[in-house]
Amino acid sequence: MPPHVLLCGSLSWAQEECQELFRGVAEVLHLDSPSRDEFFADCKPGGKYDAVVGIYRNNLSRGYIGVFDKELIAHLPSSLKWIAHQGAGYDNIDAQACKARGITISNTPGAVDDATATTALYLMISALRHFAQAERDLRAGNWKYAHNAGSAHDLTGRTLAILGLGGIGLRFAELAHAFPMRVVYHSRNRNPEAPEWCQYFDAERLDEMLTQADVLSVHVPLRPDTVGFVDERMIRKLKKGAVIVNTARGKVIDEDAMIRALEDGHLGGVGLDVYPNEPNINPRLLEFKNATLLPHMGASTGDTMKKMEVRALTNLRDFVMCGTCADIVPECR
Amino acid sequence: MVRVMICGDLAWAHKECEELFRGIADVIRMDSSNRDEFFAGLQKGGKYDGIVGIYRHNISADYIGIFDKELIAKLPSSVKWIAHNGAGYDQIDVTACKERGITVSNTPGAVDDATATTALYLVISALRHFAHAEQNLRAGKWKSGHKAGNAHDLTGRTLAILGLGGIGLRLAELAHAFPMRIVYYSRGKNPLAPDWCEYFETDRLDEMLAQADVLSVHVPLREDTEGMVDEKMIRKLKKGTVIVNTARGKVIDEAAMIRALEDGHLGGVGLDVYPNEPEVNPRLLEFPNATLLPHMGTETCDSQKKMEIRALTNLLDYLTKGQGSDIIPEHKQ
Repeated sequence: MPPHVLLCGSLSWAQEECQELFRGVAEVLHLDSPSRDEFFADCKPGGKYDAVVGIYRNNLSRGYIGVFDKELIAHLPSSLKWIAHQGAGYDNIDAQACKARGITISNTPGAVDDATATTALYLMISALRHFAQAERDLRAGNWKYAHNAGSAHDLTGRTLAILGLGGIGLRFAELAHAFPMRVVYHSRNRNPEAPEWCQYFDAERLDEMLTQADVLSVHVPLRPDTVGFVDERMIRKLKKGAVIVNTARGKVIDEDAMIRALEDGHLGGVGLDVYPNEPNINPRLLEFKNATLLPHMGASTGDTMKKMEVRALTNLRDFVMCGTCADIVPECR
Repeated sequence: MVRVMICGDLAWAHKECEELFRGIADVIRMDSSNRDEFFAGLQKGGKYDGIVGIYRHNISADYIGIFDKELIAKLPSSVKWIAHNGAGYDQIDVTACKERGITVSNTPGAVDDATATTALYLVISALRHFAHAEQNLRAGKWKSGHKAGNAHDLTGRTLAILGLGGIGLRLAELAHAFPMRIVYYSRGKNPLAPDWCEYFETDRLDEMLAQADVLSVHVPLREDTEGMVDEKMIRKLKKGTVIVNTARGKVIDEAAMIRALEDGHLGGVGLDVYPNEPEVNPRLLEFPNATLLPHMGTETCDSQKKMEIRALTNLLDYLTKGQGSDIIPEHKQ
């Protein structure tokens, strides 16, 4: 009997590719447990997910069975060895609990880089040029009468500070370099793939980097130690009029501190694609003129979503066939 | 000392203006509140009598109207140079100028970066449906209504540039960073175009249009370019293509474009210019995937200052060297 794999969250784009990938390799089951409790029951010995060795997971499954927290991980069948998550951020999975149970997690890091970096570029242009605000004015019948060119800036020659230079940050750096903007970055470590024109600032020189930034773009994953990473202190180190762009996770920024800095004019604007409590948005954000607010559109294109699904499914197949895959998350390496 | 006139107030380069003309010319500010008053000032003994050159900004049209045949005829015979601030000089009758021995200069390079950035923003918004997504978010609908299947990544798609002058070339550079495939149509092949920009001449224009995912318009408004992007051209585009316009509204047949949005032939538009600014055809406001900016092309203090200095320098060069460097094509010897 071929091994069982389970799709937790349905595929939107890669149904055909899924069939081809697993033909002769594994039997593909589809999650149809309508609730968390029923899912737990189906995972028990003799249940329909009893022999599952690997799970493909996307965030759509949250609506049925909730996040993959410690409790859920504990209920997974003992046969389970692999979780192939679809997406770059895997904060909906308790990686430590998985590790403790001998489950290896993969994500789809490279697949989202291009689309998410493009979102960051859009937000940066809008924040520096006041474009989203200009469109609201036009639609309200006010043309550009309220626009103040004195507070709108060209990108070229300005300094973009990237917080977290992984795949998305690096891709964003490339797009901004075309202008060129000056690109500086802070990460836990120097990225060996960073080109020469990306200047690295270590933790000791983080403040120095912040004082030079015209734009601070956030690309660090959400982990317990990165909640509220961009805090009051960090925001106040930025020069007056700097703008913040966030396409990572809402909770990486201390939202209250950011709102205070918008209120008192310390920040010149924000471009946000993510929020601490999606899909809810702090209504205060809607009131700031120079706030460009997207509803987590980071990777929301048919092209990229298909690429992500295929990548996650390929990781799952590689797990089943080879016992490993290309995209194992750092915690499980 | 000779006299020059600032026709349309400077916003950013007051100090530079003083320094440029110190000891060389008296700088007179045009302060007439209407056309008749202006004409009176131009007469012998009037306050503008004896001027030899004019710095001109479109804002002056709000007071004295455009530089049409009538206005040109009233200029004193001492006027030999009009240094226009802006890339587009469709508000000046350049044929009438030529007949009177007046040379016109514009500020071509100074606007390239800011305008191309505007075009890039509109390309991203139109392909990714971002402006519409923000409208949904602000209406409390998060991303419901967004169809990722209609949203596309830029990378790998084909950008067709209509008119590869300075702005088009700059957009080509920014889009090449993704990379997008760049194709272009111009009256002649641009010798400055890099290898990766593929030229299509008139005979092959239809072939280019059939390949485009985005058509970005960068031709100046002249009699022979009015309505250049017409029904026939729009229908040669494949279904779902988007049009971006940062040049002049009248270069596109707006009625044909609206029909193509209505019947779904066009996937969206990104517009910064309109046939009858500041009026916007209300029909445009109704299409979900229309990103509409109020002519923000160069609305940054950085670029506007650069343009003011460039135009003033052209005027100064006329006084000190006999001619400025940015003579418009129609007036080149």
